[in-house]
Amino acid sequence: MRLNTIWLATAISVASAIPAFAHHGWGGNVDEVTALSGVVTEGVKLAGPHGTMKIMTADHMVWDITLAPPPRTQSAGLKQDTIPVGSVVTVHGQRNRDPNRLEMKTIQVEYGGKQYNVYPEFLDKIK
Amino acid sequence: MSFAQLMAWLEGSALGHVMRDNGVWLYGIINLTHILGVATLFGSVVILDLRLLGFWSDAPLAAISRPTTRMATIGFGIAAITGAGLLATKATEYVGNPFLYIKIPVIGLALLNVLLVHRSSAWRAHKNRDLTHQERRRLAAMGGTSLLFWLTSISAGRMIGYW
Repeated sequence: MRLNTIWLATAISVASAIPAFAHHGWGGNVDEVTALSGVVTEGVKLAGPHGTMKIMTADHMVWDITLAPPPRTQSAGLKQDTIPVGSVVTVHGQRNRDPNRLEMKTIQVEYGGKQYNVYPEFLDKIK
Repeated sequence: MSFAQLMAWLEGSALGHVMRDNGVWLYGIINLTHILGVATLFGSVVILDLRLLGFWSDAPLAAISRPTTRMATIGFGIAAITGAGLLATKATEYVGNPFLYIKIPVIGLALLNVLLVHRSSAWRAHKNRDLTHQERRRLAAMGGTSLLFWLTSISAGRMIGYW
């Protein structure tokens, strides 16, 4: 009986992980892939669970660009010094489900005529 | 000092810099070590707490309590140090994360429970003699509380990345 209670508690904890959002997986992002162009205000950082970057769009909104985990981002050719701050980039990805959160989970970054595919397996989603 | 200020300080600390400036694999390796620490901690705690709750009562408590408390202490130390590193990497990003606000205080409660167990007369007595029924019940209650706290803090901790 007591063991059953413990298993139940464990099962609930595990089950609550299924509707997972945000950083891990794509569940917290919309399905549609859109493009976002802007000026890099904070360069690529390859630290933490995901690579990150910030860009400012023409309407002066600053977006958090979530890249792949650091090793994967780097192996896609995107290193911390690849894109200087102030450069113009286009990012293809899926924006956060929360319209108030200016965050995009990235599939591809275009810069200087090159394409950095951090999630090449999802390239066919880009129109 | 607000929590946001504390996180800004942690992010700017030497630990934060070490975490960010040492290659693309460091975070993953520290994350792995954190999991090993948590596994060592919880693996030990679950054996001890279930014993306190009455499982395997044919095994002497003193024989179980010595290795489990030692390994739980080591596991907690590893988890705490690596956890501070993981948090320091981008500490300000976690401001407002409800799971962190559950996890940290519950770890505090779990540690307070550890203190209460170790200060109890029943715990001190178990090393030298058999416990009375009432002493066993008191330890069982604290063992159950321990399981609840550690399960809650681990669950909340796992969910931090999903917010």
